[in-house]
Amino acid sequence: MGYNLLEALNVRVVGSGDRYLVLAHGFGTDQSVWQRILPLFTPSFRIILYDLVCAGSVNPDHFDFTRYTTLDPYVDDLLNILQALGVERCAYVGHSVSAMIGILASIRRPQLFSKLILIGASPRFLNDEDYHGGFEEGEIEKVFSAMEANYEAWVNGFAPLAVGADVPTAVREFSRTLFNMRPDISLFVSRTVFNSDLRGVLGLVRVPCCVIQTARDVSVPASVAEYLRTHLGGRTTVEILRTEGHLPHLTAPALLAQVLRRALAR
Amino acid sequence: MAGTSSNVHFHDIPDVVLATVFSLVTDTRTRNAMSLVCPKWHLLERSTRKSLTLRGNVRDLFLIPTCFRAVTDLDLSLVSPWGHPLLDSSPNPLLLAQLLRHAFPSVVSLIVYIRNPSTLHLLAPLWPGLRNIKLIRWHQRFPTLPLGTEFIALFEHCRMLSSLDISQFHCWTEDLPPAIEAYPTFAASLSQLNILKHSSAEGFKSHELLAITASCPNLRELLATCMFDHRFVGFVGDQTLLALASNCPCLSLLHLVDATSLSNFVRDPDDEGYTSEDASITHAILGDVFARLPLLEVLVLDVCHNVRDAWPALELLNSRCPRLKSLKLGQFHGIFRGIDSRPDGIALCEGLESLSIKNSADLTDTSLEAISLGCPRLSKFEVLGCKKITAQGVWKFTHVLRKTLVDVKISFCKNLNAVSSLQAMEPIRDRIERLHIDCVWDSVDNSANQTGSSTEETTLKKKNKSHDVGNDNSFSSRTWSKLHHLSLWIAVGELLTPLSMAGLDDCPSLEEIEIKIEGDCRDQRRPCIASLGLRYLAGYPSLSRMLLDCSGVIGYALTAPPGYTDLSLWERFFLNGIENLNLNELNYWPAQDMDMNQRSLFLPAAALLAQCGSLRKLFIHGTANEHFMMFLLRIPTLRDVQLREDYYSAPENDTSTEMRVESCRRFEDALNSINRHIPD
Repeated sequence: MGYNLLEALNVRVVGSGDRYLVLAHGFGTDQSVWQRILPLFTPSFRIILYDLVCAGSVNPDHFDFTRYTTLDPYVDDLLNILQALGVERCAYVGHSVSAMIGILASIRRPQLFSKLILIGASPRFLNDEDYHGGFEEGEIEKVFSAMEANYEAWVNGFAPLAVGADVPTAVREFSRTLFNMRPDISLFVSRTVFNSDLRGVLGLVRVPCCVIQTARDVSVPASVAEYLRTHLGGRTTVEILRTEGHLPHLTAPALLAQVLRRALAR
Repeated sequence: MAGTSSNVHFHDIPDVVLATVFSLVTDTRTRNAMSLVCPKWHLLERSTRKSLTLRGNVRDLFLIPTCFRAVTDLDLSLVSPWGHPLLDSSPNPLLLAQLLRHAFPSVVSLIVYIRNPSTLHLLAPLWPGLRNIKLIRWHQRFPTLPLGTEFIALFEHCRMLSSLDISQFHCWTEDLPPAIEAYPTFAASLSQLNILKHSSAEGFKSHELLAITASCPNLRELLATCMFDHRFVGFVGDQTLLALASNCPCLSLLHLVDATSLSNFVRDPDDEGYTSEDASITHAILGDVFARLPLLEVLVLDVCHNVRDAWPALELLNSRCPRLKSLKLGQFHGIFRGIDSRPDGIALCEGLESLSIKNSADLTDTSLEAISLGCPRLSKFEVLGCKKITAQGVWKFTHVLRKTLVDVKISFCKNLNAVSSLQAMEPIRDRIERLHIDCVWDSVDNSANQTGSSTEETTLKKKNKSHDVGNDNSFSSRTWSKLHHLSLWIAVGELLTPLSMAGLDDCPSLEEIEIKIEGDCRDQRRPCIASLGLRYLAGYPSLSRMLLDCSGVIGYALTAPPGYTDLSLWERFFLNGIENLNLNELNYWPAQDMDMNQRSLFLPAAALLAQCGSLRKLFIHGTANEHFMMFLLRIPTLRDVQLREDYYSAPENDTSTEMRVESCRRFEDALNSINRHIPD
């Protein structure tokens, strides 16, 4: 690649403790989204923070459009970071797309992860015959046309003026952070995520999991958490947070921290 | 040319005269142009340039040019990235410090951002002859630092310091007294001390103030934030004021401001105007205080608790402080009694040129009239939160002072909305240079008028038949020919569009406008009109500078509950239309999400600002993602951009994603790259 992975993805290790904890952010945000959770865990864990390559804080030149076509290269990045840091075993907290990445990583390297904590996770967003992912094709298309309009404007040298405001309410919460990324990258990554379907590999997970879900998350229906519980291969628990929204680490950090602490203790 | 023209060419003028001419030029761009004319002018310009602000990137500090050796006023606080520890980027900070000294040997006044104490340890020894220093820090102070460490380094090396300004320097109030007491000779030569605290709502305690002033008997100027609430430990009351005045009899400028006055809050317009607690300040003691400060020229007592029956003290103020020119009083009541027809109280302070009255509950139109007659030299007048004055009173005031008044501010006065405030300015419409009004568009009840001297009122009314407060519907041209600075306050959700209809339609000289938007938009519905109305400011032909301050707007950044609007929509509402103004310089304070301490640019702002085709300088007082900043490069004339998180607490690099050091470097490289051809 020619660039230093740890520098490029702003990898940081903070805190003191004998156990490693990885905090992986979701779409359209970056590691600063954990800032209200972080101080509650730094006394007891060595916490590894990093930015996904598609995050706004990472040099966009590092985003290789030919490489990051599926979720696997993101898993590569995560595993390379852990290897470079010499981590042999860690707990992993992943939000949204990072939850999916965590699931895939744990299949590849089951010994590496002692626990997977998945916040706002979903193996597939699109609805299927027997499966309720939360989004119909038509709704997804609306998000995509908004993003494509932005992308077109951006390519043509106009600054994009349309924002998530014009996206229907149903997908508004989820797309709130989408426009924080560069239009070409966010469009590309959104397609990657909406095209991915992890339902088939859930059974391969051996690591114990804790699925954390808010009481009302527009992007993840309540049934998805139950689906994960029944289909994930390892010992899985589900915790429902008594709060709403897709970003509980921002909107209800104290509540989330309690649940995290319990989950990490086991 | 005609025969009577002389044959003296500019180059025939002796160098000494030329140097004097050059030294009078202060505008930076003019100086830059002058230095490009020829080598001689270049040398002359450099040798007469006294003040310089460094704006490059900190990693390029070693490239500092050495031609500016005559500079005496140096500002190092704006080096990019803003707030970065100055010498930390270099592997050899000592060498870099020496380079600074070599480049600027004559520095006498310094402004510098002190992120951590090592900077001061390195910089202070460089200029032992330093006379004035201003320290800036909006980041947090290291909690483990021993008290006063930073100041001790400074006082140890800069023994000739006469002016210290830490109003924008975040430290603890306990830091200063021990350092000052440790260097008594230094403290004795200190003449200007600014210890206001803009960074936090706390103030110096009484014993701290007295310790400081006791050590600095020769202070001529003191500005301090303190606490007047007697329920607090260390409150400032009568005894403190007396002791302070005894400690520093040479004071010509005294600013004592209550810690709560610096916070943003909108006063409830319905309360009587009195706070629940009184300050522990009586007029008798105030009179004694004034007696001990005969050299006083500027006095600010912004007490946020009632000081009642103040008129005797103010009468003594006039006799005991004959040089008094500027006065600001906060929460003083009874400053004018008006029992009989003789002037009393504040109306006796005839030397006043600048007067600011804040939250005076019993200030009436009659008081205003008396003041206008008693203070004939007033050129600047501010009235805030005074519920009893009406537009008629203000009109009479400006009418009497129409020869001298050029700067007026009216804010949060219940009976004065935007339209009536503007109408009250009618007598000075062609003279006024600076104006502030609140954009309150609701009509006010003008029937509750003051029963002032009614005969005078009616004669005035007869003389000005066209004037009719509250009912002026005529659209005759109202030219504000000298107005060059306009400041507006507007509640979030309100529109600017009625402004031109309100009476501010023709302002040919208006160059700078300041707009402050305040309020909580979390519960408000998404605005149905698309924009605040900035485009209507295009009617001011000379408008080139704007300060748009939305930092008083509280909203949701990413954390909006389902169904609530977030700040990106509000941002679009505020900035829509800004591209229609030919702005040259913009300072923008984004709205804030208090839960996350986030003040950030979102996509709509980046998009809308990128459309301002004539923008040359842009300063954003918040954070922004790298790719949003990159949109701004589309502006062809953009030359100077910086993110300045000058609010407390400025986000630490690790906790805030936006504009990390590398992002800043990439953006500035792109901004300054050769490929961008800037027209001027």
